[in-house]
Amino acid sequence: MHHDHDTPAGDLLVILRHAPHGSGWLREGLDVALVAAAFGGDVSLLFMGEGVTALVEDQAAGALDQKGTAPTLRMLEMYDIDTLWVEAEALARFGLSADELMLAPRVLQAEDSAELIRRHARVLTF
Amino acid sequence: MASSEITRHLCVADARVGLDPEGYLVDIGQWSPAVAEALASEEGVILEAEHWEVLEVLRAFYAEYEMAPAMRPLVKAVGRDLGPDKGRSMHLMRLFPGSPAKRAARLAGLPKPTHCL
Amino acid sequence: MNLHIVNRSPASYRVHEQALAAMGPEDRLLLIEDGVQGALPALVRHFEAIPGRLFAQREDLESRGLLGRCDGEVQVVDVEGFVQLTEQAEQTLSWY
Repeated sequence: MHHDHDTPAGDLLVILRHAPHGSGWLREGLDVALVAAAFGGDVSLLFMGEGVTALVEDQAAGALDQKGTAPTLRMLEMYDIDTLWVEAEALARFGLSADELMLAPRVLQAEDSAELIRRHARVLTF
Repeated sequence: MASSEITRHLCVADARVGLDPEGYLVDIGQWSPAVAEALASEEGVILEAEHWEVLEVLRAFYAEYEMAPAMRPLVKAVGRDLGPDKGRSMHLMRLFPGSPAKRAARLAGLPKPTHCL
Repeated sequence: MNLHIVNRSPASYRVHEQALAAMGPEDRLLLIEDGVQGALPALVRHFEAIPGRLFAQREDLESRGLLGRCDGEVQVVDVEGFVQLTEQAEQTLSWY
């Protein structure tokens, strides 16, 4: 990381690449992150591709009252999951900027992705 | 996750409160302090002020995040709401021996915590 | 060195772009299932950034009739080769 030489290596990086509501992948990825954190792991998240839309403000429950993921995302800090990255490329593709997203994610430049992955003992993609 | 299967009913005053196979409320809307007392008395526990304030923390947690917390976030939430002296696992272990996150969630009318063993 | 596995066709999905974005300079990419379509000369350009580090699963090529149509850049591996790639890697990441 060019701007984060102090970022410690973590136990687990969960890469979230799916949007809320369309499939169960986002929730599954969050569940894995929460379980790992509940057992004391140092967990970071990377929102990639469509996954970036999980961080858009003003989300609601889905049709048929299907629970949204926004309350779960707000809960992450209670599990001490507070290192959240969002891919710069995904922001650009969706026309979003990091400062309008919930949870104030850090922006990850494309050239830093491999290094972020290398710093984690385990990486899971969802 | 909350099970929707009712295996038995707890009778509290005039109400019949449905419990799932593990003894958690099936419908959180049926909770009342009297329900918590009835559940606790089945466990041979009398709820004191220190129990009640933890149950309140849990109910606020669920209202905000729509999930029952595992131990790590429960300790954090208790510390945030009731102060650092109480935000310690020893304190919660003393009040709800065994598995504090599960036992307290049950008494608070929440579903079983998802993210713990 | 990490092994990245892609099972989606680059003709229909952008999953391979995510894998490529996550790859370090030594990392390898293995195409499986519909991903092996990326081994065709007309599609292999998507992987020009990783010369010598692109692999494709033999059985998945064979079953699709694509084995003889593979681009020369692609290294074809059978199940045993797949296992070796996995063993040589520190981690395996699936992109689906």
